Amino acid sequence: MLLFRSEETVNAWCAARNIPRRPLVNLEQLWQLAVHWYANRLTVESRRPAPDEMVSIFASLGLTGPFWNPKSDQWK
Amino acid sequence: MPSHDLDTQVKLAMYDITAATGRVPNSQEVSERIDVGESEVLAAFERLQAKRLLLPEPGDPGRIRMAPPFSGIPTPFPVEANGKQYYANCVWDAYGVAAALHCDAFSRASDGHTGEPLTLEVKNGAPVLKSYVAHFAVPAAHWWDDLIFT
Repeated sequence: MLLFRSEETVNAWCAARNIPRRPLVNLEQLWQLAVHWYANRLTVESRRPAPDEMVSIFASLGLTGPFWNPKSDQWK
Repeated sequence: MPSHDLDTQVKLAMYDITAATGRVPNSQEVSERIDVGESEVLAAFERLQAKRLLLPEPGDPGRIRMAPPFSGIPTPFPVEANGKQYYANCVWDAYGVAAALHCDAFSRASDGHTGEPLTLEVKNGAPVLKSYVAHFAVPAAHWWDDLIFT
């Protein structure tokens, strides 16, 4: 997961590598993802979110569809 | 940490050392920290990997490549926080270091295509928002297929 100044440099990066353009996430969404994933990571209770929890977290940030579903088989 | 199971002891030791030093420890350092044999720590590493809480260095199970959000090796995502330098695995994890440590942070990152320096900052517990974007090249279902690429 890389950082880009703009959508234009994402498109150039994808074109240079013949990689399909996939979803973009803005910095506010990215921060919220980081908080969901890591805010308790250094604690006894920490664990990675389960697949269904991941879907809920992504949806709460407007990230929906099979790309954001860890159980999706659309991408195999 | 005597009241916790071994996997929890190993996890906490791994993160305690990382948070305190900026460097992800190896199995020997974790073994010494919790006074448990290194072979037991290595077995715990495997179980923690199965829980997707760490990734050993390929071909070297005693070294940790990723203890998300921290990287065991230098990456293009250095993060300054609490007066130390950490390395994050990706742009998500660059913010993740601040989230995990519950502190402000500053990362000298760069544009993935042009290499132009771009900075990420967390100040007073919130990100300093800019118009930058993160590109997720790999679908969620496959993030752990090749986590180093992801």
